[in-house]
Amino acid sequence: MLRGLSLLFLLALCVVGCGRLEESPAQRANTLYITTSRIRGFDPAKAADVPSALAIARVYEGLLQISYLDRPYCLEPLLATAMPEKSDDGLRYTFHIRPGIYFSDDNCFPGGKGRELVAEDFVYSIKRLADRKVGSTGWWAFEGRIRGLNDFRDASAGEEPTDYDRPVEGLRATDRYTLVIELTHPYPQFLWVLAMHYGSALPREAVERYGERFGSHPVGTGPYRLAHWRRNYRMIFERNPTWRETGRTDSYPTTGEAGDAERGLLADAGKPLPFMDRIVAYVVADAATQWMMFLNGQLDESGISRDNWDVVMDKHRQLLPALRERGIEMAVAPQLRINYLGFNMDDPILGTNLLLRRAITCAFNTEEWIQLFNGRIRRALGPIPSALPGFDPDYVPFPFDLARAKQLLSEAGYPDGRDPATDRRLELTLELGSAGDIEARQAAEMVAAFFDRLGIALKLSFNNTPAYFEKLERRQAQMFMLGWLGDYPDAENFLQCFYGPNASPGPNRANYHNAEYDRLYDTIRVMDDSPERTALYARMARLLIDDCPWVFLSEPLVYTLYNQRLHNRKPHLFPYGMEKYYRLE
Amino acid sequence: MNRGMQLFRRRPLALISFAIVLLYALIALYGESVYRWHQWTDTTPAYQNQDIEQQYEPPSARHWMGTDGLGRDVFLRVVQGTRIAFHVGVITSCIAIPIGVLLGLIAGYFGGRIDDAVVWLYSTFAAIPGLLFILAIAMVAGKGLTGVFLGIGLTTWVGICRLIRAETMKHRDRAYVQAARVLGYSAPRILFRHILPNVFHIVIVTFTLRFPAAVGTEVFMSFLGIGVQGEPSWGLMLNSARGRLWQGVWWEMTFVTLAVFLLVLAFNILGDQLRDALDPRSQDSSDRSLA
Repeated sequence: MLRGLSLLFLLALCVVGCGRLEESPAQRANTLYITTSRIRGFDPAKAADVPSALAIARVYEGLLQISYLDRPYCLEPLLATAMPEKSDDGLRYTFHIRPGIYFSDDNCFPGGKGRELVAEDFVYSIKRLADRKVGSTGWWAFEGRIRGLNDFRDASAGEEPTDYDRPVEGLRATDRYTLVIELTHPYPQFLWVLAMHYGSALPREAVERYGERFGSHPVGTGPYRLAHWRRNYRMIFERNPTWRETGRTDSYPTTGEAGDAERGLLADAGKPLPFMDRIVAYVVADAATQWMMFLNGQLDESGISRDNWDVVMDKHRQLLPALRERGIEMAVAPQLRINYLGFNMDDPILGTNLLLRRAITCAFNTEEWIQLFNGRIRRALGPIPSALPGFDPDYVPFPFDLARAKQLLSEAGYPDGRDPATDRRLELTLELGSAGDIEARQAAEMVAAFFDRLGIALKLSFNNTPAYFEKLERRQAQMFMLGWLGDYPDAENFLQCFYGPNASPGPNRANYHNAEYDRLYDTIRVMDDSPERTALYARMARLLIDDCPWVFLSEPLVYTLYNQRLHNRKPHLFPYGMEKYYRLE
Repeated sequence: MNRGMQLFRRRPLALISFAIVLLYALIALYGESVYRWHQWTDTTPAYQNQDIEQQYEPPSARHWMGTDGLGRDVFLRVVQGTRIAFHVGVITSCIAIPIGVLLGLIAGYFGGRIDDAVVWLYSTFAAIPGLLFILAIAMVAGKGLTGVFLGIGLTTWVGICRLIRAETMKHRDRAYVQAARVLGYSAPRILFRHILPNVFHIVIVTFTLRFPAAVGTEVFMSFLGIGVQGEPSWGLMLNSARGRLWQGVWWEMTFVTLAVFLLVLAFNILGDQLRDALDPRSQDSSDRSLA
């Protein structure tokens, strides 16, 4: 054991020794230190998780972005000169690309100098999302939307390599700076989609040069570039020098929501972006370590873990004065997110047994669940978050009720949880991500207790994150816990998680299929915002609540602590690429 | 038996540590029977019962060692942790000791090429950092106890192998072995019927000394999240106790640490005492009269 310990010590020394950043105080002063989770890579076509999207948005940019200060959230041009011209039938969008935007320098370009961004880059990037061989996680957002793109996808299956010069009717660069997109049906959310990381401009040279390694070798136009990446340990982003060399000037917004000026959020109005030189993101899986690092001043931002809650805040949810004196601020922001426990509808036990799913829903003790998270969450009442139109607070057919849950379970064919086939308790398996996180483990153990009170033996199966998502994509998980974070502020984004054709590896991870639901979804997907559409949203939500493909667990509130040296930090539902507005003092 | 009694009379420390080890063994047996009983009846054992209303309660008459973050009784979980610890100690010994003894006997008795091969093998094993090796094996075998058993079992046979080899070399040329050889006994018979009983004290001492090391390693693997899943193990408990420790939730951490500490200490003292008593070289005159 002693040998083991000394080895561990040596290992720790090694990690500290070779991992320490060599940096000057001046460098530190303009570097943002944050944490991240393990990310899957920098390929915008393949990322589907928040940490990856955050990292990608520092390096890559799209035509549009969600405005930083304005509320309600709206779109504004980023790589386009203005918002697109939309034809009267709503099918044709014309974008004008900003001239003088350059990719960052990289060996994939001739002479290593980044080349200018052109409309053809967007044509290529969107075609790549459609390429079957790429297997993009973002295809759902484009499938059947752009004229001819599905044909391109079908053709891409047989070719080796995919012929990217094959024209797509509805996706054309009419000149160097003009992009024309023609849709098959009206798609009101299309512009929101283009603001996501799937709409990023990728240089074809980099994709072709790096091939499989493209995911670890990002080349974008964004405010930062990836300077250093040790997988699962640390990412360092540096200010993209190309911006200065090519004279690109993006500036801080001059207008915002009412009250932003009073909050000091407009002090930097009109100043050139980005303010910070570097962003260092550490992978810190453990909440206690993260907290210690934050208190030590090694991090500028920290979440508040369940275990730290009562030492950070008083009874009124205000930051304790002692912490405020140390130069710490607190921000509370709701998240556009539904956390859920998903049933795999392909599973022979759960998929066909509605009563069983309802029994489990009823067995879920929301109050204990909220208590476990110290009230940092709200109960989710359905697939639509409370912030969006279509949410119905009054329709709660399966609240926590253990007696009713047991009744339902026995109607489902498992009296007292007994499986008649084996004459033992019904055994179900819940797949989970990382086991190292104390909070996640406790949450999982609490879920096991809920099942246990119902009489079902729940087996917890912990995986590392990539293995977990692989199981989901292969539909091998019987049950799983996950959250859906809204990509844009429209309930359609949540409802598409249940659309049959979106089944795994798409966002419909529960592999839910319901003909009536799919028909309704087909109706709303082409509708512009209207009271009729909102009514249909509510109707679809009720259908899902009755059918229980998910147990709707919670809507989280995000409490963040940050250093007072961090300025211009406004809570944002879509914080992707927003670090460029932050300023350090 | 008589000899054992005398050993303890002369060495009170041995008696105390033996008593503690015995107590732990009984607790582990109790834990095992509780576990088996609940498996058999297909019910949930008390140590898994949660009550969020009672989370983080300090020790009281109701919960002797307090409760954890989900309101589970720490005492009951420490008891169950003992079960896991003994599983690890015993099963890894059952893997490591036969490998070490067999290879040690063969190498020591036959010498020559065979000896070279065995020495090469254990030198190679010893050269690989133990912990990394254990983690690698556990990763291949998958999460859970199997990984722990194989990881620890397959990496910790080197020490005993060397001891047995050296001891066998000494015995190889002794008169009784030569007599057996002259009588035409086969090599396996000589090895296992004649030499092994004479070097068996090494096995006993090694067992008592490696047991706590194995328990320690298990705690540590579970702490890292690649050990036990779903059952209370000391490592898991330490890991979850860590989160609130600095806010004064000391009981889970303290009691689990104490449990590990006592078990390891008792086994180590017992091992030392046994070695002193059984190893002829370190025997003083009074001990020799025992033999």
